[in-house]
Amino acid sequence: MKINKDKIKELVKILDELNLTELSYSDGKESIKVGKGTLSVPSVVSSNNLASAPTKSSGKFNGVKSPMVGTAYLAPEPGAKPFVTVGSKVKKGDTILIIEAMKTMNHIPSTQDGIVEEICVNDGESVEFDQELIKIK
Amino acid sequence: MIKKILIANRGEIAVRVIRACKELGIKSVAVHSSADKDAMHVQLADESVCIGPPKASDSYLSIPNLLSAYELTGSDSIHPGYGFLSENYEFAKILEDHKINFIGPSSNLIKKMGDKIEAKKIAKELGLPTIKGSDKGITDINEAKKMAEEIGYPVLIKAAGGGGGKGMKIVYEGKDLEKNVIDAKSEAKKFFNNDEVFIEKFFQNPRHIEVQILSDGKKVVHLGERDCTVQRRYQKLVEESPSPVLTNEERNKLLENSVNSISKLGYKGAGTLEFIYENGEFFFLEMNTRLQVEHPVSEAVTGVDLVKRQIEIASTGNLELDQSQISFNGHAIECRINAENYKKDFQPSAGKITSCHIPSGPGTRVDSAIYQGYVVQPFYDSMIAKLISHGRDRKSALARSLRALDEFVISGIDTTIDLHKEILKHKDFLSFNYDVNWLAKSDILNKN
Repeated sequence: MKINKDKIKELVKILDELNLTELSYSDGKESIKVGKGTLSVPSVVSSNNLASAPTKSSGKFNGVKSPMVGTAYLAPEPGAKPFVTVGSKVKKGDTILIIEAMKTMNHIPSTQDGIVEEICVNDGESVEFDQELIKIK
Repeated sequence: MIKKILIANRGEIAVRVIRACKELGIKSVAVHSSADKDAMHVQLADESVCIGPPKASDSYLSIPNLLSAYELTGSDSIHPGYGFLSENYEFAKILEDHKINFIGPSSNLIKKMGDKIEAKKIAKELGLPTIKGSDKGITDINEAKKMAEEIGYPVLIKAAGGGGGKGMKIVYEGKDLEKNVIDAKSEAKKFFNNDEVFIEKFFQNPRHIEVQILSDGKKVVHLGERDCTVQRRYQKLVEESPSPVLTNEERNKLLENSVNSISKLGYKGAGTLEFIYENGEFFFLEMNTRLQVEHPVSEAVTGVDLVKRQIEIASTGNLELDQSQISFNGHAIECRINAENYKKDFQPSAGKITSCHIPSGPGTRVDSAIYQGYVVQPFYDSMIAKLISHGRDRKSALARSLRALDEFVISGIDTTIDLHKEILKHKDFLSFNYDVNWLAKSDILNKN
């Protein structure tokens, strides 16, 4: 059997990045499990980095989540027409809103084609990383 | 004599000023927004006052709130740091009118240097080389066409009240001039509420070189030049001193010219003259009437503490430092570490720093306000640390920078640490073969 070193390296990288202690991967043909020998990762580190993602997403969410923490704006400037409203048709890549973070205005693109079902944030509201922004059907 | 300074800023520069205060035996007052209650400057200062909500316009930029904090704490001076209100002449004017000691130049000079057309006019009068172009706003398109032909295409249309690339247009041919003037005017009106625009020669491959000066209004000294050519979207990323491309003759002429010009101005405090350098020629760009982010580079090669000297000038009215007392030793490089993902078009990355290791060792200085467990806030600038490395020459300063970047660990958020490693090892950087547009076009950011 040939050992896929690249895949192992990639998994170890993910393990480090997310401060995990164990990670298994399978694609049907082969399965790989990597882990750290010790479990002495400080609790603050692990608990925080894994934060919102698993708890907030129900797994069925279809739409766009926030790629960053910041302040969400639904229109290009105060008083202007919002980028999208419920019922808007969006294409992948269309700007759905702006998130202001660290003095920069970041245009957030739709990750898919579809129709806007719900806008989950208010104009000027603070959003967290991975927070649901709009639902698309 | 100054006894208590309120620092109208946050982050690493507030910490920098607090450190100078402590060494001088001066009390320091930190101000902070509600988002910054756990920030390092709040913990290090002798006193702190919360001046508003996270949004900068309601806290760090709120003049009434700052003045209340000033009164409340019995401070006698205000240090503005950089950014925020540091170049706001109205703020400086209010302080002057109320006999509050502002650690910086007069509101009058801040105002003049803040207006691009006015600053250029002054620079010309002072004998500094200025960029070929109109010395007043464009009112007549035919006049503009004549001017553009005289300068030679390409030309740049710039907003008088602007900055950061807004209201700026490059025009390559005469037929595109009118349309671009109109566009620039409407952008300038939108962003700066001032539709005045002017024409200048456009530089294709400019370097950015600046001169640090200190003055008490009578005497002017320089602390050498800094080369800040590695930039991205007009934001400096790497700064070094001395510039690796200037001959001694060019350098001496530039420094002498700068000192002579400022001597005629009656300027008080620390200031920087910024120049474009192309094909062996310098052109005045602007003057920053404040302390700059990259000031530690000059401190490293001269041993002069710029913040203490600012306080000295504001406190006694005199600068007790002569040019003959300043010597220049070795080479220094600064890397600005930003909380950004440079592989995703520099997407901002706020969040909790889960582990943090700050490099140290010979020739290594880090100015920052981060620590393990600190939450980088999304409301403010993305620069979270500056690494300054000093060595006997450029080669050893670079080796130290790379060694220190290897030691630098910031987890939990994305940073530009790895980007700096790539820049400092790049063959173009090693052979001085770059201009202000280099990074955007380089293979570092265009891998795929």
